[in-house]
Amino acid sequence: MYNSYLQRGLGFALPLLAAFLISAIVLILIGENPIKIYSMLVSESFGSSRRTAATLSASTPLLFTAVATAICFRSGAFNVGVEGAFLIGGLGGVFCGFILPVQLGILIIPIAIIFAGLLGGIWLYFPGYLLAKYEVDEVVSTLMLNFIAIAITGYLINGPLLSPISGNNVTPLVHDIAKLPRLLPPSTLHAGFILGLICVFMYSLWCNRTPSGLESALIGLNQRFSNAVGISVQKTLILVMVLSGIIGGIGGASHGLGQLYRFSDGFSPGYGFTGMAVALLARNSPVGIIAGSILFGALASAGTTIQLFSDIPLDLINIIQGTVMIFAVIELTRISFSRKLKVSI
Amino acid sequence: MIFEQIIAAGFILTTPILLAAMGGLVNRQAGIVNIGLEAKMLSGAFSAVIISSLTGSWLLAVIGAAIVGSVIGFLFSLTITRAGANMIVAGLGLNVLVAGALGFILNWSFNSSGTLRMSDTALLPKVLPEGMQIVPVIGKMLTQLDPLTIFAWLTAITLPFILTNTKIGLWIRATGNAEKVTHSVGIKFKNIQDFSTVVAGFFSGLGGAHLALFSIGLFNEGLTAGRGFIALAAFYFGRDKPIATALACLLFGFLDATQIRMQTVGLPPKLIGMIPYIMVLLALIISSIRKHQRMAK
Repeated sequence: MYNSYLQRGLGFALPLLAAFLISAIVLILIGENPIKIYSMLVSESFGSSRRTAATLSASTPLLFTAVATAICFRSGAFNVGVEGAFLIGGLGGVFCGFILPVQLGILIIPIAIIFAGLLGGIWLYFPGYLLAKYEVDEVVSTLMLNFIAIAITGYLINGPLLSPISGNNVTPLVHDIAKLPRLLPPSTLHAGFILGLICVFMYSLWCNRTPSGLESALIGLNQRFSNAVGISVQKTLILVMVLSGIIGGIGGASHGLGQLYRFSDGFSPGYGFTGMAVALLARNSPVGIIAGSILFGALASAGTTIQLFSDIPLDLINIIQGTVMIFAVIELTRISFSRKLKVSI
Repeated sequence: MIFEQIIAAGFILTTPILLAAMGGLVNRQAGIVNIGLEAKMLSGAFSAVIISSLTGSWLLAVIGAAIVGSVIGFLFSLTITRAGANMIVAGLGLNVLVAGALGFILNWSFNSSGTLRMSDTALLPKVLPEGMQIVPVIGKMLTQLDPLTIFAWLTAITLPFILTNTKIGLWIRATGNAEKVTHSVGIKFKNIQDFSTVVAGFFSGLGGAHLALFSIGLFNEGLTAGRGFIALAAFYFGRDKPIATALACLLFGFLDATQIRMQTVGLPPKLIGMIPYIMVLLALIISSIRKHQRMAK
């Protein structure tokens, strides 16, 4: 348990420090001054309201995928399938956005979002059910479902849902009325960001103020105890998987209707996995999720500009993300090179 | 003629998956699910192209790729066995990290985005003479056989023996089945796990080398195209048994080879591409339900 704020803060800071240290070494190796680059990153991501808006815009999908991941990780369900739910929900949302009649007006947006949430929820219901009823390893099942989601969406946007007027691998654009409103016009920051914050807020309420939130945390801590006190582990596991799928699906719809306005190949450059890095970094805490999403959003948006103005490849961001993921799960206090077996609690 | 071509292509496409799957299988027998096979294949392919171009020797390139894969596997293993990292997250992180690092090196040192084309890369040689073409049905496949394909199949055939009849094989399986028990009888199970992850890295590196040096002789960021995960699918489907896993690899290789031809029959290639993943899902479900029924009795 990470009960003290200090521990949580350290849990957030240490993987980041490690990641920035490693990328600093990389930068020094190629003859760049890491401090200069890092301060450039900061000013590029928060230097003006336009840049801050770009950062927040880039962090929007991560809010959803991080919450979706955290919901499951809290309960000890190792769901790596948020990426799939994001894709399925994204395509579902965009589909509503262009197929529903324009006459529905602004109503299209809630319909699309609900439809996307529904699809995402159903998508992750299957691995949830299989995990709860038959103990089918959720890591592998959700991992496989990600590839299946990529294949299905890839097939649909190349076949039945292919835009008749543009090349290949894209759906038609959504109706203008179905686009989520922009918050700070020249930038792409859209209402999805607010929706994402609402999701984080609801997640926080659910964790701290509802019985099912408590129960789901308990089964993450000790399944046998939870069983003994009368919590249905099976139902809770299915619940968290479905909730995760719903949030992931809504995230996809928000990305489709707010950012891209269509579904194309490469709709998600791994938002599900970056969201996982954020959730791990945040140790599932709501505040940490917001901070982590903005941080990774900043890296993504500033990284693009940095690549334009200097020779530093954008891939540095992936190096940072990968290092954060690995270091977030390393238990620094448990590092041991002795041969003694540690008693695991 | 078309059958000969499919057999030849299917066989060749099986090799990288088979190599990675054999490594991953040993790794899982020792209790570690290796999600980072993709990363090791990619780095193996990358180093194979560079070494092959620099030295002009396919053998050195293959050895180099295996070493690079092993080293990455070793470091990866340390995070799991010595630092308590969750193997799934660490594996996914490794994939992101390695893809980033390779992209960075490509961009920075070779000034190219995504593809590395080098001069004079030595490709894998063909083992059998052209004359074998006259053999019916498998003639074309025989003339295309390369050393790594033969090595991969030799591994698949000898691995059951190694795992059941040698000391190290037994240690590996014991570690995977009950690490605390192995510890109590004095086996250093962490070392065994490290060793098995190095084996996974070694074979994935070879798989990457085969991808890069079989015919194209260049490296591309998307070269592995999820084959590390197909390998994972194969040893899950084959339930960690070498022969069953190898047959699953063969099936996936042939699916890959027929994918393009199926298109002419009207089956979309993208949907065929998901067959391995669906098969694994089904296999997982069936085996879990069976286990459940046994427990219920």
